[in-house]
Amino acid sequence: MFLTRSEYDRGVNTFSPEGRLFQVEYAIEAIKLGTTAIGIATLEGVILAVEKRVTSPLMEPATTEKIAEIDAHIGCACSGLMADSRTLVDRARVEAQNHWFLYNENMSVESVTQSVSNLAIQFGDSDSDGNAMSRPFGVAILFAGCDEDGPQLFYMDPSGTYVQCDAKAIGSGCEGAQQALQEAYSKSLSLTAALKVLLTILKQVMEEKLNSSNVEVAIITPAAGYRMLSKEEIENAIKEIPA
Amino acid sequence: MFKEMQSLANAQMTDASPHKVAGFYPYADNGGTLAAIAGDGFVVIGGDTRLTTGYQIYSREASKLTKLTDKTIIGSCGCWCDSLTFTKGLHIRLQYYLYENNKPISTNATAQLVSNMLYQKRFFPYYVSTIVAGLDADNQGAVYSYDPVGSTERHRYRAQGTAGSLIQPFLDCVLGRGNQTAPEPEKLTKEQAMIYLKDAFMSAAEREIGCGDFLQIMIVTPQGVEEERFKLRKD
Repeated sequence: MFLTRSEYDRGVNTFSPEGRLFQVEYAIEAIKLGTTAIGIATLEGVILAVEKRVTSPLMEPATTEKIAEIDAHIGCACSGLMADSRTLVDRARVEAQNHWFLYNENMSVESVTQSVSNLAIQFGDSDSDGNAMSRPFGVAILFAGCDEDGPQLFYMDPSGTYVQCDAKAIGSGCEGAQQALQEAYSKSLSLTAALKVLLTILKQVMEEKLNSSNVEVAIITPAAGYRMLSKEEIENAIKEIPA
Repeated sequence: MFKEMQSLANAQMTDASPHKVAGFYPYADNGGTLAAIAGDGFVVIGGDTRLTTGYQIYSREASKLTKLTDKTIIGSCGCWCDSLTFTKGLHIRLQYYLYENNKPISTNATAQLVSNMLYQKRFFPYYVSTIVAGLDADNQGAVYSYDPVGSTERHRYRAQGTAGSLIQPFLDCVLGRGNQTAPEPEKLTKEQAMIYLKDAFMSAAEREIGCGDFLQIMIVTPQGVEEERFKLRKD
């Protein structure tokens, strides 16, 4: 497979004769190496959950932040190269604050996603003002938030393409998790039921045993906005799911 | 404010050179009066159509009101060229907003945008008096007024421009009713608000030469925007 791609997979500025951009496809492959992140949108709110790989007992788990607050009403979960995600999360935060400054209203989840995807597709753009990366970003992001259209979940891949989803899994366990989500999801899912579904699926796809220090959960509701679950809350939620 | 700006421009010219140098007068006062009244489920905004310079009349048909969306109107008067440029620029920004956010801009967001756009020209301001009138998210009437550099406030009613200082006290009397002992009137209707607007402009045109010709009124309700014209004195 890789032999046929030679010569055309070095730069991001050249299409292969079959009309493909291999570097972008490789970047999409790269996120499958990342940790699993799952998002579910319900009528009551959106939940994000990610697996944290704690590779050493000497590592401090709290320093890996895979879920980030964008604004009081929006959060995001990342999978892939975490260093790349910093740039994208920073852009999302700037855009959300700028929108509030300019219009005195919360930015919609889709508009935030759109503005980040504008940055994500600028790779290889040597004429741009120095912000552009020489390669595609190696991250996929789930944007979750509550705006005037209610709870929303958006998925963006390294090519900058984004889609709205009811539920979406990204990262290494995404295939199994997505399949499980399809079976478990229904529009009428309550927030607590969705949290259970999320942790159950995460438990299935994770290599390590699920506990309160190797998983991060954030809930975004119309009333309370973005809120990260505490260690105790996660512990209690884990107790609820079947062993 | 207009006089202060002109004398500042003159002072800079006379200082240095003994020769006569043509001054730079970037501003003109072309007059115009605006007034808006908000109510439950409606807002009415009126502007006269007279365009002047000193004692001369440039036009009797210059509209100061612009429909921005089905829920929002902007009124702009003062330096006519600044009014035109500002509203044109605003139209572009609103179109951009529509494309980037997939929805028409709300009255409240427009109000904040207008403030920001005016403040962006803080050190070479648009010489304009502005009123944004529309319905908010709850379909309540909203009136926002601005000074030339974007200072803004939401009101129930507001008058601005050449005869603004004549109309505002009248509206304060009939709508604000501060320090009045008479019983509270019934809830303000759209029809009553229209009568107040017409009375106000008619009286202002009697005393202020910069105000006259026609009163153009835009009425915003959840059903959309209607327009009405009312004759004022033409001398």
